[in-house]
Amino acid sequence: MSDANTSWDPSKPILEIDHLSISFFTRLREIPAVMDFSCKVMAGESMGLVGESGCGKSTVALAVMRDLGKNGKIVAGSIKFKGRELVTMGDEELRHIRGSEIAMIYQEPMASLNPAMKVGAQLAEVPMIHQGMAQAEAWKLARQIVADVRLPDPDRILNAYPHQLSGGQQQRIVIAMALMSKPALLILDEPTTALDVTVEAGIVDLVKDLGHKYGTSLLFISHNLGLIMDVCDRLCVMYSGEAVETGNVIEVFDTMRHPYTQALFRSIPLPGADKNTRPLISIPGNFPLPHERPNGCNFGPRCDYFQAGRCDAGDIPMSEVPVGDRHATRCLKWAEIDWNAPPAARVVKPKSPIGKVVLKMEDLKKYYSISSGAFGGGTAKVVKANETLSFEAHEGETLAIVGESGCGKSTFAKVLMGLETATSGSIMLFDENVQSTPIQKRNVDTVSSVQMVFQNPFDTLNPSMTVGRQIIRALEVFHYGKSDEAREARMLELMDLVKLPRAFADRMPRQLSGGQKQRVGIARAFAGGAKVVVADEPVSALDVSVQAAVTDLLMDIQRENKTTLLFISHDLSIVRYLSDRVLVMYLGHVVETGTTDQVFQPPYHPYTEALLSAVPVADTKVIRKRIVLEGDIPSAVNPPPGCPFQTRCRWKGQVPDGLCDREMPPVKVLEGGHQIKCHLSDEILSQMEPVIKMAAE
Amino acid sequence: MTDILSWPMIFALMAKQFWPVWVALVLTFALSIRFKRRLGLYGKLFDSPVGMAGFAIVMFWVFTAVFADVIATMPPLDQIGSVKNPLPGTPVVDLKPGQFPWFLLGGDHLARDIFSRMVVGARQVLIIAPAATTFAFIVGITLGLPAGYLGGKLDTVLSFLANLVLAFPVILLFYLLVTPEIVKTGYVIHLWFLGGHLENGVGVGGFTWIASIPNLMAAVLFVFPIIFFGILLNSRFHTNRPKRNLYVGVTLVIGIWAYSGLAFNADPVGVWGMSPNLLNVFVAVVFVNAPTVFRIVRGIVMDIKSRDYVSAAQTRGERSWYIMLWEILPNARGPLIVDYCLRIGYTTILLGTLGFFGLGVSPESPDWGSTINAGSKLLSMIPHPAVVPALALMSLVLGLNLLADGLREESMKD
Repeated sequence: MSDANTSWDPSKPILEIDHLSISFFTRLREIPAVMDFSCKVMAGESMGLVGESGCGKSTVALAVMRDLGKNGKIVAGSIKFKGRELVTMGDEELRHIRGSEIAMIYQEPMASLNPAMKVGAQLAEVPMIHQGMAQAEAWKLARQIVADVRLPDPDRILNAYPHQLSGGQQQRIVIAMALMSKPALLILDEPTTALDVTVEAGIVDLVKDLGHKYGTSLLFISHNLGLIMDVCDRLCVMYSGEAVETGNVIEVFDTMRHPYTQALFRSIPLPGADKNTRPLISIPGNFPLPHERPNGCNFGPRCDYFQAGRCDAGDIPMSEVPVGDRHATRCLKWAEIDWNAPPAARVVKPKSPIGKVVLKMEDLKKYYSISSGAFGGGTAKVVKANETLSFEAHEGETLAIVGESGCGKSTFAKVLMGLETATSGSIMLFDENVQSTPIQKRNVDTVSSVQMVFQNPFDTLNPSMTVGRQIIRALEVFHYGKSDEAREARMLELMDLVKLPRAFADRMPRQLSGGQKQRVGIARAFAGGAKVVVADEPVSALDVSVQAAVTDLLMDIQRENKTTLLFISHDLSIVRYLSDRVLVMYLGHVVETGTTDQVFQPPYHPYTEALLSAVPVADTKVIRKRIVLEGDIPSAVNPPPGCPFQTRCRWKGQVPDGLCDREMPPVKVLEGGHQIKCHLSDEILSQMEPVIKMAAE
Repeated sequence: MTDILSWPMIFALMAKQFWPVWVALVLTFALSIRFKRRLGLYGKLFDSPVGMAGFAIVMFWVFTAVFADVIATMPPLDQIGSVKNPLPGTPVVDLKPGQFPWFLLGGDHLARDIFSRMVVGARQVLIIAPAATTFAFIVGITLGLPAGYLGGKLDTVLSFLANLVLAFPVILLFYLLVTPEIVKTGYVIHLWFLGGHLENGVGVGGFTWIASIPNLMAAVLFVFPIIFFGILLNSRFHTNRPKRNLYVGVTLVIGIWAYSGLAFNADPVGVWGMSPNLLNVFVAVVFVNAPTVFRIVRGIVMDIKSRDYVSAAQTRGERSWYIMLWEILPNARGPLIVDYCLRIGYTTILLGTLGFFGLGVSPESPDWGSTINAGSKLLSMIPHPAVVPALALMSLVLGLNLLADGLREESMKD
């Protein structure tokens, strides 16, 4: 493409980062974001950067683009792209490289697209600017690339505005835009985090294939180890601004040589983990703030193998692991640690007995009517958010409600909480019908016994009230205790219960980390002795190492109080780990329900099968069947006729007479109370193969 | 002593006259900068040069208003000598003992000292503008919260009314509200049994109130603070009856006492009261500003009401007013504080405009608007009587705008 290409030898690394240090300068101090970071990306190779939020992985990516903002500065080291130094490169030269030889894809697709420009025009702009291509030719190229990113009907898409596309389609357009000038290096910063799992699976497949097809090198940033395994050849684990381990993906996953990597793997739910017999092990302590990093090893204070006087003596260099494919670790003791030793004694907790029925829903329906006219006129449309939802939940049980966005799981939670009233059907809570009772009319007992834990830790607490005050407010509203002193004491007990220091009661929410905020949210939900707790994706916004701790906490409190937990989630790994029964929802319908074993073993509902196969698993021993769903989730305003899943179902051909297009399938009850809403015959269902298999040891 | 002072001398003498302001400013800045890390948004203001400059100008006028009696060289309403429109720096003829010997910034057509009028005028402006803005905010917030949070028909009706007020030409509205004819027309309510007595079957004395448009509006608008603070405390403490009764009771007693004085001029003790002219101006300013505040509050509420902490409050069965006042309002404070500063500036200009049209407080009052009006007649020949208050007005509004800019900038960081 450019003349620089001619002087570059393809056997040399495309990107070579050497001892890179980046700092941000604030009013108060210099905050080192990345220290002594080195990595090499060869041509056609895909490199993964893994780490928790705040570890500096995105900063590295931005440094490669030289887009660190006003406050960020590269203080040491070098970044070489095709042998050319980026750190000292001038703005004019950089502009030629950005978007043409190095392209970047961000997390939020809508933020990367210009909402006022047609998709085609945005795509065509790239080669027109960088290669001076003629407009007609550029549009032709755009059409071809849009077809390459597997979007249906490219001509329609090119003439659409970004808001007319779904999230998955938008992200494909962003990828297409990045590929327009056939870059040598593609940086992807959490490209699928904002998308649903089944859509994510499609994007991941696409990125992998395109990487091979165009010979593009990838720098793939993610917090999800499973995704990294799916996409990358090599990875670099980062912790608190430093690379702690780097190497071949398989090698690092199977024979990790850094305690942080090991702890990370022990804290994520893998198939086979179970909350009672093999609980997750969370990493103790907190991620150090950039200006409070310890001496020596940053991971030292949280490490099981920490040795005072040695690990905290001074800076620790990366050391090569001799047997390995460019495998290196930033640990002094890697050669001494017995990496195969099982984790220290785990407390096996007894499974809590499942009691009587606490909550029973029958034929619950919730329709919304939306009017299209600006002045309330126009024809009213009906959104069927929940259709004939029936289930029971028992005391002490964890019932998981699984489904992607738009499946109606949040509406269901709202109806149960009383924030909305159901259109029809009944909700029996302790033998009391609360279906048509909005929350204002419920008595204090009912309100305090059904509580909720929210998804977003940064939004769950009122930012202008102290933590303690917020818990006390819940106690006041639930008429707990006779005096302010009694409530104060109870609040401190609740802080103990969620394992937060009592001193945190006087802090403002912004002084707490995400995991700590979520703990406060849990304490607040349990303030009135809740019997039923709805947890709406309580850990999905948290870092991996914190997720385990918060999940465990939730389980412990449940065990003690015999609470019924309704766990809403899209993350099947965590659902398998902690739930007793599972309810799979799609477009307002319950498509499958049964015990966890029943749902995770064949026969499956076709949607469950696809969902299971879409979840990335960070285990090299697991063989997973790839089923990628075509298309997007249909809109609930305009659901397809017949079976809601028929538009994306790969088994549709097995049902005679096009029954799926015409009729809503009946609920089929299989052995053990396992229910599936599908037209497939028993015969075909019984022939289904498991999606996830453990490789023979 | 007969020479006119040179400009450097005039400035030196003025700077000397302002000494309490300098002391107060230095103290304020020293203390604020010393403790700025502990003072929240106010402390952060001292990281922004623009914000600091704005704050300094605003505080200069605030302290001037506070120490006006010490700073002013002469009584603002008295004629000094007999020379009309003396130039800046003119010595006072037939000096009495203890009197300041110069017209620092000259005198006006009645030979009143302009410097002193400007200083005392600051007091007028700095009492009415913030007070009227505060009232406008209370009215706007009390109506904007339910409109944004509850939505529906209430929102439609309130928004329509707000648009109606905003669509009406402001100056015309002021003429309607403030002209004496309008003020005097209205049904007269005469309650002789309140402190009066009967004479031959006719009530004498007692309480008289004219139901004119400004008076009626005052009666309506002045209820809002009582409603606002009543609901604020009730929603927070309704779980604790004795405490609630105490707090809400105290609010109601003070509120109704002040209300009787301010709206009906019928305070039995005589602490609260407002001259009819002032009342008219006040009501007019509140009436014009409240709809804008209403719209701002409504917009912010619609954004915040979808947050999880609002849902959390709903799921624990909190009442709507608690959610609006304690969960939503505190988190809307950033943009509201910025708008508050800007709005005091607008109100100051509005008061100046009113004064200029002769709709101000009282004819001889030293407020800046009236002074500019009085001075404007001879503007081409003798500019100083109009220019001095105009510059004062401009600098105060500029300061408020800079302060708002600084606050906005700092509240957006981190």
